[in-house]
Amino acid sequence: MDNLTRVTIDFQTSHLIFPIMIAVLLGLLGLAILVRDRAAILGSGRMWAATFREMDKPRFLGTLALTVVYFLLMVPVGNIWPNTGYGFLICSVPYVIVLGLLFMHERTPAKLGAMLAVALVAPPLIWWLFSEVFFLTLP
Amino acid sequence: MDLLAHLIDPWFLGLIFGGTLMGIMFGAIPGMTATMAVAVCLPLTFPLGLVNSLALLLSLYVGGITGGLVPAILLGIPGTPSSITTTFDGFPMAKRGEGERALKIAIVASVVGGLVSLVALYFFAPVLAQFAIKFSYVEKFLIIFFALTVMAALSSDMLLGIFSGVLGIFLSLVGTYDITNGGNGHTRLIPPGMEYWLDGGFALLPVLIGIFGVTVILEEAEIGMPRGQSLKDIEVGPHSRFSFSVFRGQWLNLIRSGGIGTFVGILPGVGGSAASILSYTAAKTTSRHPERFGKGEPAGVIASEAGNNGLTGGALVPLLSLGIPGDSTTALLIGAFALQGIQVGPLFIGQNAETWNAMIVAMLLSNLVMLVTMFFAIRWFAMVIAVPKQILYPFILMMCVIGAYTINYGIIFDVWTLLIFGLFGWLMAKLRLEVAPFIIGFILGPSAEIYFVKSLESFGDLTIFFTKSWIAVVLWILIAASVAGSIAISRRNARMISPSA
Amino acid sequence: MTVTRRLLLSAAGAALIVMPVMTEAQNLPRNIRMVIGSSSTGGDTYQNASILADALSEHLGVNVRVDPVGASEAFKALARDSRGTTIMMHHDQSYLQELYGVEGSPDIFEEFTVGPTISVNPGNAYLVPADSPYQTIEDVLAAAEAGERVRVAIQPGGVSEIGFTAMRNAARMSAPGSEDNIVPVNTGDQADKNQAMWDDLADVINGSIQANEQFTQLPENDPTAMRFVWITATPETLNQAPEAGLGETDRAEMLSFAAPEVSVPMTEEEDFTFDKEFFLMFNIETDPALVEAIDTAMGEIYAEGEIQQRFLDAFFTPQYRPMAEAQEHLRAKNDDYETIISELKSE
Repeated sequence: MDNLTRVTIDFQTSHLIFPIMIAVLLGLLGLAILVRDRAAILGSGRMWAATFREMDKPRFLGTLALTVVYFLLMVPVGNIWPNTGYGFLICSVPYVIVLGLLFMHERTPAKLGAMLAVALVAPPLIWWLFSEVFFLTLP
Repeated sequence: MDLLAHLIDPWFLGLIFGGTLMGIMFGAIPGMTATMAVAVCLPLTFPLGLVNSLALLLSLYVGGITGGLVPAILLGIPGTPSSITTTFDGFPMAKRGEGERALKIAIVASVVGGLVSLVALYFFAPVLAQFAIKFSYVEKFLIIFFALTVMAALSSDMLLGIFSGVLGIFLSLVGTYDITNGGNGHTRLIPPGMEYWLDGGFALLPVLIGIFGVTVILEEAEIGMPRGQSLKDIEVGPHSRFSFSVFRGQWLNLIRSGGIGTFVGILPGVGGSAASILSYTAAKTTSRHPERFGKGEPAGVIASEAGNNGLTGGALVPLLSLGIPGDSTTALLIGAFALQGIQVGPLFIGQNAETWNAMIVAMLLSNLVMLVTMFFAIRWFAMVIAVPKQILYPFILMMCVIGAYTINYGIIFDVWTLLIFGLFGWLMAKLRLEVAPFIIGFILGPSAEIYFVKSLESFGDLTIFFTKSWIAVVLWILIAASVAGSIAISRRNARMISPSA
Repeated sequence: MTVTRRLLLSAAGAALIVMPVMTEAQNLPRNIRMVIGSSSTGGDTYQNASILADALSEHLGVNVRVDPVGASEAFKALARDSRGTTIMMHHDQSYLQELYGVEGSPDIFEEFTVGPTISVNPGNAYLVPADSPYQTIEDVLAAAEAGERVRVAIQPGGVSEIGFTAMRNAARMSAPGSEDNIVPVNTGDQADKNQAMWDDLADVINGSIQANEQFTQLPENDPTAMRFVWITATPETLNQAPEAGLGETDRAEMLSFAAPEVSVPMTEEEDFTFDKEFFLMFNIETDPALVEAIDTAMGEIYAEGEIQQRFLDAFFTPQYRPMAEAQEHLRAKNDDYETIISELKSE
């Protein structure tokens, strides 16, 4: 009886014990969900269709695309001037502007002005604070 | 005497005031954390001398932990990892127009939590440290396990919620089984081809701000950026007037949460975010209305904020009485001591009475500064709601990038993690998976692993979890109570809502 | 000093935009990123790196930022940047982890240019509980020889393990087979190692003078009290430490725990010693002129003599070896340790 509870752990393979336990548990729970909610899962095609039909596609996909481009450009641009944080600075200004334009409803001069002012002031200020005062590395 | 000299030293007082304010700002900006505030200021403090630099760093710590409550309540985006549980009830309160009330409750709870932990620190540090070392891997695992049981209680659908939580644990294990935590340095769960990027796994902060910050913005974009709340919505009306009467019947909760936060801080390695999760779990477990939690229950806000501020004093206990930091922020303080040539260890308090007293005074003052400034600043905090989304959201995204990139001092994959988990959070909502248990699983997963595996490795017997010590037995009772509570709630819910497929 | 420089830099920050990327004089990058093999800003690696970075910034008139990204990310960052705008600082862990076969460890002597050494942390030590029967590390070896099982808490795969390997090697030399009585307790950081002792999971723990000295000053009946049994640093290094030592332990006392006072043989003639040395590494394709400029600058900085005091104040031993000498020295160290590690492994 005593032996049933004894376990020996080999340090060299101990990185797998917990992930396997969790994976099994996750699998069992997933299975339970499959069984319980099979109707909803089978009908999920309709949910996705509705999601994409009702989605504000320009705003949603635009946000995603802009963010991917922003992340992609930051490092190569920053590499032109290594360790200065200019990559962040140069990419952030247009990103904030374009995203702001995308999110705006009525593009009145007053609103455009406020947004532009923030987009032109905030990134340089943040860049200055973090890169120069706090001395942190930015892309 | 010496202490009095500090109290009238304008530098000392100025640094506490400035540090607290700056800490609050760091805490309040999503992506910035208390740890970061201390880290960036640390190199600037060397010429200040030990007492003054500690005054600054401790104030940053207190301010930073507290500041996180502002966006947690107003935007549903936790400003720091330790304010996650504040979003659970704070944000629902704000949405129904009780933002100001929620903020005030949270601020008062923060101060009480901070004071509870200070008292514990000042009077009982050596005793508490001696108690803390009775917690071996086994007891630490059980504490984490207890915190994990809140996953069930936080889920609106138990099965999906637990699945989400286990998924969070699973994803937190991706990467290297970290040698510095006691692992063997091998990698696991990395999809082929991703080794270069994923050997360090997903970092906690980017995951967190991705799943809260980026996801919120994506969801708003999806529905076309509807106009937000206006200042009118959170105007104090008869329905949301704050008075200290909300704390009636909550004193036990306040003290308990502050105490739990303190205690979690004292246990090295259990981690800062666990403090608020545990006190939230305890509050929900013992509440007479557990079903109200997660829907805007002031007691939840109180537990979370008293818990995370309780951490501040607690985490200093092992630092100053064992030379071992209680969380990531206090780990930075070791650097401050080392560069001033001061050893921290079991003899510190006895040998450095003046520094010790000054630290306590600094934290006390910082808590008071925090209370006063935050109360006065509530109006300005509230204005964040009125900032048009086309300005607020791009700005938050930019700050998230800064936070993600600088958290580990310049790793670009952390920025991609932000987007990956932003999208993942959006997907989870579509699949009716639940964010709260997921993130709790993600935070606690690595500690759960290390303590579980190490318990078995060291003691070699499964029964050790029950037989190790009386502490283990007490923890099992708490775990059982929490699980039973969750089941009871879910039964009650099931009876109230007619089942629908 | 630091503050004035930084404050000036921040004030002039905006003006930097128009400045050229390279400084005119030495063709050095204007902004250098020093990545280090530790992800903590409170540890010894960060402290040593920032002392050096401050001195280099001032001497060369460039910005040197220290980024504690951790070994794995630091090697990646260094491998990506051949322009010399990224340099790396780390200690013996960088080659030891490869010798111990830690996953993903590069061979630094092949894949990078090993640069000058900077300083030594003389603190690597082994401790026992205050009420332990072992008085010195020699007692531990004798116990192993007599068939007693001795559990040693270490963090595997590097600096923390090397002394443990040396113990096993010494045990094997005096009584083959007795090394199996010295068993590792694999833990993590210092907190875990201390806890392993207090939980009675380990008889001996790896630690450091800095982190554990105060525990050795506690009254013996304190459950957390410890004693040093072995300090691995060379006597030459320890002799450079301040005479007052650290805390209540003076230099003479430290020397009494180190070779040659206590002996853990590595070969028939030689005692095992281990100095935890900090040194620089460069991308292998970096312009040699640039690497040389940094090496020369370091020579000048150490010749001025101010930096030494900064290291000593923080209980480190300044130890500049010009690049060529440093490469030879570190490779010799690597080869010595490789021998004992592989001999123990082959059995």
